[in-house]
Amino acid sequence: MESYGWLLDPKRCIECRACETACKQWNRVDIGVGVRYRQVRMKEIGVFPNVRMQALSMACNHCDDPLCMKVCPVKAITRRAQDGFVVIDQAKCVQCRQCADFCPHQAITWNARASRMEKCTGCFDRVEEGLQPACAALCPTGALQWGKWSEISGMGSPSWEGFVGEYTKPHLRFVTDPYPSGR
Amino acid sequence: MSLTRRNLFRLSGAAGLLGAANPLSAFDQFFRAADPTLAASTKVTTCCGICSPACGLQATVQDGVVRFIEGLPNDAHGEGHLCGKGAAGAQFLYDPDRLKYPMRRTNPKKGFGEDPGWERISWEQALDTIAAKMKETVDAYGTESLLFVTLPSPDLWARFMNAMGVVNRIDHIDVCFQTDRIVQRYTTGGKTWCNDFENSKYILLFGWDLVAKAKVVYANGIVKARGNGAKVVHFSPTYTTTSRMASEWHNINPGTDLAVALAMIQVILSEQLYNKEFVDNFTNFAQYESQIRAHFAQYSPAWAAGISGVPAADIQRIAREFAASGGGIVPAHKKTLCANYMNATQLVHAISILNMLAGTIDRPGGRYFPRTYSVPGVDAVYPPPAYPPKSGRRVDGRDKLPLVQETDTGLFSTLADGMLNKFPDMIKFAFWNAYTILAFPNPKTMEQAMAKVDFTVVMDFIPTDTVTMADIVLPSAMYLETSDVVVRDYNAKYPQAVARAAVATPIFETRTAGYVAIELGKRLCPDYFKTPDGAWINPNTLLDEKVKRAGLGTNFADFRAKGIVENRAAFTPRTSFATGDANNKCQIYVPQFAARGAEALPLWHPKREMPTEHYPLYYLTFIPGIHKRNTTQNNRILNEIMPTNAAILNPALAARLNIREGQMVLVRSRVGQIGLPAHLSETVRPDAVMVAHGFGHQSRLLGAAGGRGVRDGDLVPEASIDDFVAAGNYGGASCIMDAVCSVEPLS
Repeated sequence: MESYGWLLDPKRCIECRACETACKQWNRVDIGVGVRYRQVRMKEIGVFPNVRMQALSMACNHCDDPLCMKVCPVKAITRRAQDGFVVIDQAKCVQCRQCADFCPHQAITWNARASRMEKCTGCFDRVEEGLQPACAALCPTGALQWGKWSEISGMGSPSWEGFVGEYTKPHLRFVTDPYPSGR
Repeated sequence: MSLTRRNLFRLSGAAGLLGAANPLSAFDQFFRAADPTLAASTKVTTCCGICSPACGLQATVQDGVVRFIEGLPNDAHGEGHLCGKGAAGAQFLYDPDRLKYPMRRTNPKKGFGEDPGWERISWEQALDTIAAKMKETVDAYGTESLLFVTLPSPDLWARFMNAMGVVNRIDHIDVCFQTDRIVQRYTTGGKTWCNDFENSKYILLFGWDLVAKAKVVYANGIVKARGNGAKVVHFSPTYTTTSRMASEWHNINPGTDLAVALAMIQVILSEQLYNKEFVDNFTNFAQYESQIRAHFAQYSPAWAAGISGVPAADIQRIAREFAASGGGIVPAHKKTLCANYMNATQLVHAISILNMLAGTIDRPGGRYFPRTYSVPGVDAVYPPPAYPPKSGRRVDGRDKLPLVQETDTGLFSTLADGMLNKFPDMIKFAFWNAYTILAFPNPKTMEQAMAKVDFTVVMDFIPTDTVTMADIVLPSAMYLETSDVVVRDYNAKYPQAVARAAVATPIFETRTAGYVAIELGKRLCPDYFKTPDGAWINPNTLLDEKVKRAGLGTNFADFRAKGIVENRAAFTPRTSFATGDANNKCQIYVPQFAARGAEALPLWHPKREMPTEHYPLYYLTFIPGIHKRNTTQNNRILNEIMPTNAAILNPALAARLNIREGQMVLVRSRVGQIGLPAHLSETVRPDAVMVAHGFGHQSRLLGAAGGRGVRDGDLVPEASIDDFVAAGNYGGASCIMDAVCSVEPLS
């Protein structure tokens, strides 16, 4: 099975949110009920003027060892055999919300209007057509890239300051190399 | 309000005449259950229209409905990608609050709290009424009684205004890069507004914050530059996204960038660090060397440190590094530095000098002239009869600023004062095209000024606050519904043109500004809207003709089929600069400025407002990257990400004033006050309050944006033309951030 993953280079992220809005457009995600499959999460570190910001574009990481899948009492969450994307079967889901509580990446949300649990699908419909997921396809600076996990997994670090939940083996790597030093 | 189909219909119903729900409409199709197969969809090449670089895009269209928008490969601006706003473009097209038909006002009382009592009318009725009113106004009061407030005008609009002899025109450029444009005209000889960041070795940013505005063409340039090893230095009183992308960020006192720039020039000159080859051959330095050296000798790093708060050693080091890099660039162009403060003209002049000293004007790694296709305007395709002379008074007082007088635009900040105080009752008829009152400093006075105008026409695509002041409303087509030729002129080392094709079936009775210009022209100045064979100008034929004459195709359909046309010619640096200099050199010392009452070399001027006992804090505003000025807050996706604004305070300041996160605070300035929740952040100085621009729309017809947040401009004093003249604001900088304030908790 070929599975896929994301390579995040936070130093290139300009917080434009193209990943977020492209995702909402492509997946027709309900607007105004707090459901955002992907979000650029901002964090301030330090005290003015010794301050810096961190911007991390985060969504479901389609883990190798997904906790959401383990805790689901009705086995509504599965990893697709053909591409490894972790998906929710709405017909089976009983909306107990355990998956959302246990996901260390806060990637699953309760849609109160539609009465369902929702998360990133990996844009498997696009991938099946040979396209990239909407988020990576739109990202203007290459901060968020996507590809075959066999390649991405060796391209960066599994760790990043403040990122929790490596134990579920997320399909996410971070580019930790700094820019070349300025003249 | 959330946007389900059920709500959509409820909204449409509540909005009454703004549009009865049509069950077969594109609205409905767009919001129906998702069809993930996208069967029978096509991809159409077109251009974004949210901000001026107009990135190329591909729209996935199914049954005439835009389903998805993504970047256009090989486009020089977006480079195949879009920002978050661009990707949410379909939400503008299918905004449930869109203006759908021409309407007229039935309630004569005007104000933001008043219900206009809209009544649907036909386009014929609307155009006949507007034309009759314009004629009546000109006959009774002359052309000076007409006011046009517009975005940069399409050529047909310009023709209409010229044919009517319109004197009073206010343009977005006034609040954007007007000062830069004026300075470039005489220092480098035109539009040296492209930045070759990717080949630059040292990028010096004075408040320049276009990465934080998520302009893809600039952000990508900075990212590439850093990848190539360039050093990026950002001076800004707040830590922004641009600061995060920079190698160094320096906290600088607001509005004092000019002092640092002047001191850097002094260091480079006194230590002979400038690019001798360029300066000697392509600038007028040799001719004015003694004046130039004597002038800048007064600006030492120690002096600048005292004003700016940036240590003298840093100023000196950065000046040396910049000069020694062998390829430095200092961009200007647009907020946040051209329009913010009273001393912006001098700052932009100093920036231009730094670029000349670096020797990178129209050189790799520097600011260069765009290489573009020359697309003729309507006046070149169909030469008009001679335009009537423009006579009458300028309501904004522009004629007191000769350098602004030479442009085709005017002054934002003095318009309200002109309409209310200097020339009360002069403006009788106003036409606002896609411009909202939120853009003005102190919009309250602009509201009063608008209420005094006898007859106001507003063309827009959603019912903004400005629309609620109109007598006639015209529904505008938006960018996905119109066709045009769009040249790449931000990243333009070789000519490239992208087709803007109408990708969506037009919804309701929306029209373009060009259509309105032609229709009003037929009624008021018919001789100007005919082709040489006597037929009315047809916008489609005109577009075909432009394509043909620019060499982009046999007609627009041909060009559209190509999508992108380019000519990857080699970049040949200019050796002659049309600045007005007898030897066609760039001008460090600008004699034309002196001849027009301005300064031949940039002098230190402080910003207008400095902290006082009553208003001890700097007031800072910003445009968040997820919004475009004040035009996108009603886009449901963008609104969800950022629905409102807050008073952003340093935690140390908040602690001193007993203000908690989320607590309501009152922020006051000498012209107004705003109440909003506090948000504590270490990115802001402890002596400042920062508020995002774009919020505080009052029109309740804006289902998402109406009544959300406050207007940042309510604290920014407007100006009179006398203020501008007295302060040496020769380039007409709008001072849209030049304010000080106080903050207190509301219990």
